[in-house]
Amino acid sequence: MTLNIFVQHFVNALSLGSLYGLISIGYTMVYGILRLINFAHGDIFMLGAYFVFFATIVYKLNWILGVIIAIAATTICGLLVDRIAYRPLRQAPRISALISAIGVSFFIENFAVVVFTGMPRPVVQPKILMKPIILPNKVRLIPLGILVPVVAFILVAALLWLLYKTKPGLAMRAISFDIETTRMLGVDVNKIIALAFGLGSALAAVAGILWALRYPRVEPFMGMTPGIKAFIAAVFGGIGSIPGAMIGGIILGFVEIMSVAFFPNLSGYKDAFAFFLLIVILLFKPTGILGSKIEDKI
Amino acid sequence: MHKTRNLILTVISVILFALFLNKAPEILNGYWLRIFNLIAINAILALSLNLIYGITGMFSLGHAGFMAIGAYVSALLILPPAQKAAMWILEPIYPFMLNLNTPFIISLIIAGIAAAFFGMLVAIPVLRLGGDYLGIATLGFAEIIRIIITNMTRLTNGSLGLKGIPAYTDLYMSWGCFAVILLCTVCMLNSNFGNILRAVRDDEVAAKMMGVNIFKVKVIAFTLGCFGAGLGGALMGNLITTIDPKMFMITQTYNILMIIVVGGLGSVTGSIIGSFLITIMLEWLRFVENPITIGSFEIPGIPGMRMVIFSLLLIVVIIFRREGIMGTREFSWDIFFPKSKAKKSKPVQNYDHVLEVEHVKLKFGGLTAIEDLNFNIDAGQIIGLIGPNGAGKTSAFNVISGFYKPTEGRIKFLGKQIGGLSPDQVCKAGMSRTFQNIRLFGTETALQNVTVGSWVRQKNSWWMSLLPFIFTDVLREDSEMKTQAMNLLEQLGLSEYANEKASALPYGAQRRLEIARALGTRPKFLLLDEPAAGMNPNESHELMEFIKRLRDEFKLTILLIEHDMKVVMNVCDYIHVLDQGVHIAQGTPSEIRANKKVIEAYLGAGASSENSQEAKF
Repeated sequence: MTLNIFVQHFVNALSLGSLYGLISIGYTMVYGILRLINFAHGDIFMLGAYFVFFATIVYKLNWILGVIIAIAATTICGLLVDRIAYRPLRQAPRISALISAIGVSFFIENFAVVVFTGMPRPVVQPKILMKPIILPNKVRLIPLGILVPVVAFILVAALLWLLYKTKPGLAMRAISFDIETTRMLGVDVNKIIALAFGLGSALAAVAGILWALRYPRVEPFMGMTPGIKAFIAAVFGGIGSIPGAMIGGIILGFVEIMSVAFFPNLSGYKDAFAFFLLIVILLFKPTGILGSKIEDKI
Repeated sequence: MHKTRNLILTVISVILFALFLNKAPEILNGYWLRIFNLIAINAILALSLNLIYGITGMFSLGHAGFMAIGAYVSALLILPPAQKAAMWILEPIYPFMLNLNTPFIISLIIAGIAAAFFGMLVAIPVLRLGGDYLGIATLGFAEIIRIIITNMTRLTNGSLGLKGIPAYTDLYMSWGCFAVILLCTVCMLNSNFGNILRAVRDDEVAAKMMGVNIFKVKVIAFTLGCFGAGLGGALMGNLITTIDPKMFMITQTYNILMIIVVGGLGSVTGSIIGSFLITIMLEWLRFVENPITIGSFEIPGIPGMRMVIFSLLLIVVIIFRREGIMGTREFSWDIFFPKSKAKKSKPVQNYDHVLEVEHVKLKFGGLTAIEDLNFNIDAGQIIGLIGPNGAGKTSAFNVISGFYKPTEGRIKFLGKQIGGLSPDQVCKAGMSRTFQNIRLFGTETALQNVTVGSWVRQKNSWWMSLLPFIFTDVLREDSEMKTQAMNLLEQLGLSEYANEKASALPYGAQRRLEIARALGTRPKFLLLDEPAAGMNPNESHELMEFIKRLRDEFKLTILLIEHDMKVVMNVCDYIHVLDQGVHIAQGTPSEIRANKKVIEAYLGAGASSENSQEAKF
């Protein structure tokens, strides 16, 4: 393997991993607070990709404006999902909310088929992001491949700042410890939960946009597999932990890209690696890399 | 009396339905025949998922994967060799597979067994996980199965799938298989093994304490469920005659999940009703995706609309009617007839033995919960374990009953070392307990709660309950268990609640029911964790009498934790005091009352000089 190829794989793995990480933050925040696997999160990610496609290609807005609109629209969708499908079930057994989440995921996917049609649509990549930079030793880099992890790390840093340095962040961490007590202390719990959904959806939108640029196309079921894999990344990093989600995502990205790079005949099994990884981690360290333990009490 | 009546009614309706199926090919067109076949297949799949999820409470999203195994195994076994040879275009089929050929029925059974086998393989590692993690892990396994099928081209023909599978599935086959599965399921759920499954769903910890080996029970239920999935998948493959890996995506599992949610999680009747409703609806909804012609107008069909409506329905059901159509209820002919009442009979055996706790230490990481606990208990005594909050009383109970392993030290029960045994083994040895915060199996009736307790003394194996007509012993033993449970309820004054859901009982009755359930395991030694909690003075006075009566009538040795000093001082022969994990005092009630260390532990240093505090005891 030449240095050039290795660097390509490395950058590829890093940017795929950052995308998984960005998506998995939404899972980890919601799970940390509500103990709910938001199955619809992968489909929110898909909506982000579609919105930017429509804004820039169909309505011909410029890229920056298109991206802002897409993030805003996706965030609104995430908030609506929480309001309509999850909030009525806050007091219900957790499994009900989970089934509702499955329903929502199903709904968004098929609604997208109805509205956007099931055909994959090509996305035009801005030239500036695709022009290779040549480094010494003939190493070629695509700017997009660098942009993705950079954006991801900036966003995660911002999120951590919000979570640990601001009041809503404090409230959010408090809720994840004990929702009832936090409510008693005068925090509008529903608002904070909505904030978590909003932030998660916005990050998913960013991931969706970058994903659409990377594999230049969008289709209604594109959120399914990355969604489940991102959840796996969240479990892997330790559910409830944001740095954990990012680390889990990047590890997953490396496992997927590198195993196929070094063992090309396994490429057919690529999608199985994540699940295999999940089962292994669940069996040996169910709390993930950075997670904390929950005990059953009598 | 009404049992015979119900049996006759059941037989009549089965015959009527069989006659209908017999005539169906003449009355119904191909479209409806297909729907009726699908209903039976979906009902098999729903019953099996309901067994895993609704009854036993294991959230599995892996059904489609096990269906795939069944469908492929059956198809590979019945495709004629010539057809196989022609179908594998990409890579040749394995030679040994080429000539493998069995009759359809055999292939169905092998399909079920294959799915069950893989189900068990998956279950053993994965069932350690609970709740949502289990859901995701099973979903993962289903995907892995699908990916493997796609890639093992020489065995499965890869992504091309199998075509031209002989269409052996007809109404006799599908409804026949359904009948067998239904019969086995109903028999099993009505046996005490069914109670055990529901108990595991309602409260794992409590079930473990009642002597149930949770892990084994879960693996059994999961494996049986996978058998159903494999069988259903095989029938479906033979109905549709084409299978490929894409057919068994997660969507397939959602469909089955939808059926059991709409029908009612945990209800067999619900699963069947759900199968009718959802199957017919899914077929009927196809019209929104087909062009509709009204006169000269043509409205184009909308692709995807069917699933939009379907998923909306799932959301609406879960938000507005979470329990589905049936909840956990079942159909019974009795609803058409007025009710009658149950009755009683004779007493339970007695025992005579001892507990020895030797230098027991319990640590959680750096935290010491119990520091060197040391005491013996003689047969027939009532012993109190007291101490301020956080003294380690419940931890002591948890060590003795096997929920925690002691870090050091030995616990001997009836002369046998039990420290380190699991709760169910300790329970088998003859020890039972109640909980500080009541942990009944909420959705089961009072009577069923008690029969769960008797599971540990049951001699017949769980699988016999699948075929009670052959192993008639099961029925006899179950009815004995029921009679004994009824007696217990009677003795504890709970017979009026026998058929009510445990969660609906008044507080005091729930406390007594926990005791009845513990007694159902026929213990020699009973641990009561704060039996007087939440009781008013009148009730706690009754409780004192009740505990003494328990000891005498059941010849028990009792260890109890209690904060109500009146109860402790009145009932106990001997008292042990814990403070911050340290065993600070022991003695008769009057000795404890005068013990300075004890008073200090409760009220802080210096308090012992104030005589007025003694009034508290």
